[in-house]
Amino acid sequence: MTKPDYAKGYWNPFVAGIALGLVLLLTFYIMGTGLGASGAVARTAAVVTHAIDPQLVEKNQYFKEFYKPGGDHPLVDWMVFEVIGVFIGGIVAVLTARRFNISVGKGASFPVILRLILAFGGGIIGGIGTRFAMGCTSGQALSGGATMALGSWVFMMMVFATAFVAAYFVRKEWQ
Amino acid sequence: MTGPLYLNEVIGYNTSLFIAIGIGFLFGFVLERAGFGDSRNLTSIFYFRDMRVLRVMFSAVVTAMLGLVVLNRLGLFDYSMLLDYSLLTTYFWPQLVGGVLFGLGFVIGGYCPGTAVVGLASGKIDSLLFLAGMLVGIDVFAFGMPLWGSFYKSSDLGRITLWQYFGTSMETMALTVTAAALGAFILAWVAEKWAPYDK
Repeated sequence: MTKPDYAKGYWNPFVAGIALGLVLLLTFYIMGTGLGASGAVARTAAVVTHAIDPQLVEKNQYFKEFYKPGGDHPLVDWMVFEVIGVFIGGIVAVLTARRFNISVGKGASFPVILRLILAFGGGIIGGIGTRFAMGCTSGQALSGGATMALGSWVFMMMVFATAFVAAYFVRKEWQ
Repeated sequence: MTGPLYLNEVIGYNTSLFIAIGIGFLFGFVLERAGFGDSRNLTSIFYFRDMRVLRVMFSAVVTAMLGLVVLNRLGLFDYSMLLDYSLLTTYFWPQLVGGVLFGLGFVIGGYCPGTAVVGLASGKIDSLLFLAGMLVGIDVFAFGMPLWGSFYKSSDLGRITLWQYFGTSMETMALTVTAAALGAFILAWVAEKWAPYDK
């Protein structure tokens, strides 16, 4: 099968993987913890919800850990700063490769609206998943994986096993 | 200098926040160059079209894993510090359930959290919807705590590693994982030839 256009022009996956591994290694060497992403989204959710109803968030069993009395603002956090860096790094990479393009990633004949609904719905399910797992592909699979944490490997195996099976049911989304 | 520098108090908290932006920059840059700003490149693994995700992830995990083991051997990194203070704690059942939900979200939504941020930087509208969905999902989780709050921190096995669980050494486990990754690379190559969805 020839490569579709959207898969062209990127680094060799092993080169990209080793580069990513070196960034991860550097992170462990400096910080003693790995990379992350979903924790920053969780803090953003807390702040957004706090803007709507502060009381509800400060009393919430999960969110209240971000609002400790006398503590920093929830967004003054290592992982939030790291994710801001991810966004900047992504922009620089996409602009220098000249592939910034406002578009929707989906299978060629799949309806745009349906794809956007599924992106939103997938975000909801995935978001809940990150909280039960206490991390995502960055924090658990990559960082926990590299330090051989048991739970991270359980998480990683379940993510891929589930996705390979579920893929059959949404194959038109990506065909 | 022996790492981890932050846990060894070589660098302070404020410095670490600046470093966070720099590290994030490199992370985001590499993710984009890997092709992970586009949901199609992230999901094609599940249809055996392009096993790029597996290749990138496993080679990244193996690189960092072997790097840490070697640095520990050379005395440049204190692995025991990581095991005592910062290794991710295993909550077996919550992480298993979380993995199932996350896997569903990944293939339906087309992204994971970090790649959605890179997708947003690439101008992908679907990544914006995915991130918005995540905010809602996290609220669902937070306000459902009365229902699953006790499950969420159950089956706590502590900071346990694969080598401790299987009763072997760090080095043996690292070599086993490396061998498994090499096996997975071969299987990935075979799977692309098979390509069952594109016949």
